[in-house]
Amino acid sequence: MTWPQVARKDFEDAVRSKMVWGIIAVFVGFVGFVLLVAIGTTDTSDATGDAALSLTANFGQLFVPLVALIAGYLAIVGERRSGSLRVLLSYPHSRRDVVVGKLVGRSAVIATTLAVGSAASMLLVALLVDAPSLGNAAGLLASFVLFGAGFTGLAVGISAGVRTRGKAMALAIGSLLVFLFVWDAAAAGVHATVTGSLPGLRVEPWYFLLKRLSPFGAFRALADGFVQGQVSPFVRMGLEQLPKGTTPEQLALPNRVAGPLPFYLSDWFAVLTLAAWGLVPGVVGYLRFRRSDL
Amino acid sequence: MSVMAAIRTNGLTKRYRGGLLGTDVTAVDGLDLVVEEGEVFGFLGPNGAGKSTTIDVLLDYARPTAGTAEVLGHDAQAESTAVSERVGVLPEGYGLYDRLTGRRNLEFAIDWRGADDDPDRLLDRVGLDVDDAARPVGDYSKGMTQRVALAMALVGDPDLLVLDEPSSGLDPNGIRLLREIVREQAAQGTTVFFSSHVLSQVEAVCDRVGILRDGELVAEDTVEGLREAAGASSTLELTMAEPPAADLVGGEGVSEVEVRENRLRVTCTDSRAKARVVADLVDRGHDLVDVGSESASLEELFAVYTGERPDEGDAGADERTRDAEVVA
Repeated sequence: MTWPQVARKDFEDAVRSKMVWGIIAVFVGFVGFVLLVAIGTTDTSDATGDAALSLTANFGQLFVPLVALIAGYLAIVGERRSGSLRVLLSYPHSRRDVVVGKLVGRSAVIATTLAVGSAASMLLVALLVDAPSLGNAAGLLASFVLFGAGFTGLAVGISAGVRTRGKAMALAIGSLLVFLFVWDAAAAGVHATVTGSLPGLRVEPWYFLLKRLSPFGAFRALADGFVQGQVSPFVRMGLEQLPKGTTPEQLALPNRVAGPLPFYLSDWFAVLTLAAWGLVPGVVGYLRFRRSDL
Repeated sequence: MSVMAAIRTNGLTKRYRGGLLGTDVTAVDGLDLVVEEGEVFGFLGPNGAGKSTTIDVLLDYARPTAGTAEVLGHDAQAESTAVSERVGVLPEGYGLYDRLTGRRNLEFAIDWRGADDDPDRLLDRVGLDVDDAARPVGDYSKGMTQRVALAMALVGDPDLLVLDEPSSGLDPNGIRLLREIVREQAAQGTTVFFSSHVLSQVEAVCDRVGILRDGELVAEDTVEGLREAAGASSTLELTMAEPPAADLVGGEGVSEVEVRENRLRVTCTDSRAKARVVADLVDRGHDLVDVGSESASLEELFAVYTGERPDEGDAGADERTRDAEVVA
């Protein structure tokens, strides 16, 4: 069991690459920019810290997976191509140590980056607008970190499972596109197939489960608890047949399903979903990596 | 108890699939190889002969199609971490961590092996000075990188050193240093497995050699035997002021003389004959414009060992090992 050594090396290498600092700078810079635009275009007297938090959550929804995929997709295949994997494996590290170490190392990198980046962003919110509730800020930060860890796991899993950088990149981009454009539409499609109609305002609870199995869905489910209103999907297909003038209140989950919420629509289930995204692709990637020639 | 071999392969075969349209490539074909503990074994063969594939299997970078490989008594596949605890490796096509300094790369290696080596002493041994060691490896020349990698292989005083083309990128000083290190390690009882496509590199440090061609071991010999075989087809090229006669030179150790205009091409069965031929000509007052010498190429060596004629116009004639390389 030498994975802690691999993780430590990976963390140090990433910090040295300045990638971490670049990501933090872009994150904070972008949040600051969005806030300034929002302040400039709205009546400042209405602006609240919690509304600004919601803005941060919406922005983070695209930023976090992008950053995690970029930071992780070369974790193993990059070393495979450069030949440093040959050196690493000539010491008493097993291939499992390499995959676990990379998973932990890169997750630590992403978690640190997001924690520092979103803490700084929230400080910016507090300075420019108004202090958000501390509980909400901490909750959103934790959601970001989990979301990031889920995508890091996916990226490292991809990186372990393929032999070339090109394939790793194609799979990373492809998976992001599937989550953004295909997943929710597919969930609506399943609903249409099973029930004969597209989902409306009142829906079977399992339809929401399908949506929440995507890391985006799970993140939104978690983040919704910490921001004003809802974190809206990045791409709306308009496949849910909602009556005109539906209020945000009517869209709240408890108002759309009959009876008490099933366990799989609870927050902790969303936490488990993100954890699974962090682990399952890593396992699949390892099983491929274990068998293959360098 | 029988003496444990440092490396033992039985019918080792590695075939790479060619994909949908490609053809399968057999990189190593039924290799039976035994390297005894404590010897310096030269693994000689042209590029593409299967040397690195064999090493890849020994280090579990690649999995054999058939056959088995054992390193220090451990199965190379099932017990690969036990193998890597006791084997120092300078792999082919390796890369170091470019953003980290040479010293930091080495410190990681020491940490990974759980050794207590002094990084400064190792850097000194491979001839990398302290200022260079403090710079990121990304700024290094190939030779400097090779020195760090060699230091990393020596960490923890391994029982077996596997060096795959270790002289590539090294200047003559580096090559001399490499030889010293190999000899020092061997003197301490370390087994050294040294692969190279350059005859002189192997000849200089090894006790025994195995010659690989097209994935098969074509010969195994002591280094004295190899030297004789190599001497068996070294040539001397003499440029004379006047067009010479073919019977101008001869005697013991000369097997063939060929005249091309005012040049003489003398094939020797013993490389010592070359000096005698030149001395004879000078003594007899002949005007020598130029003297060139070539030792046997690998292809010619194969011919000596297998009894085949080297293919004319193929690698044999063109890829003669230059004397400069031998001197280096």
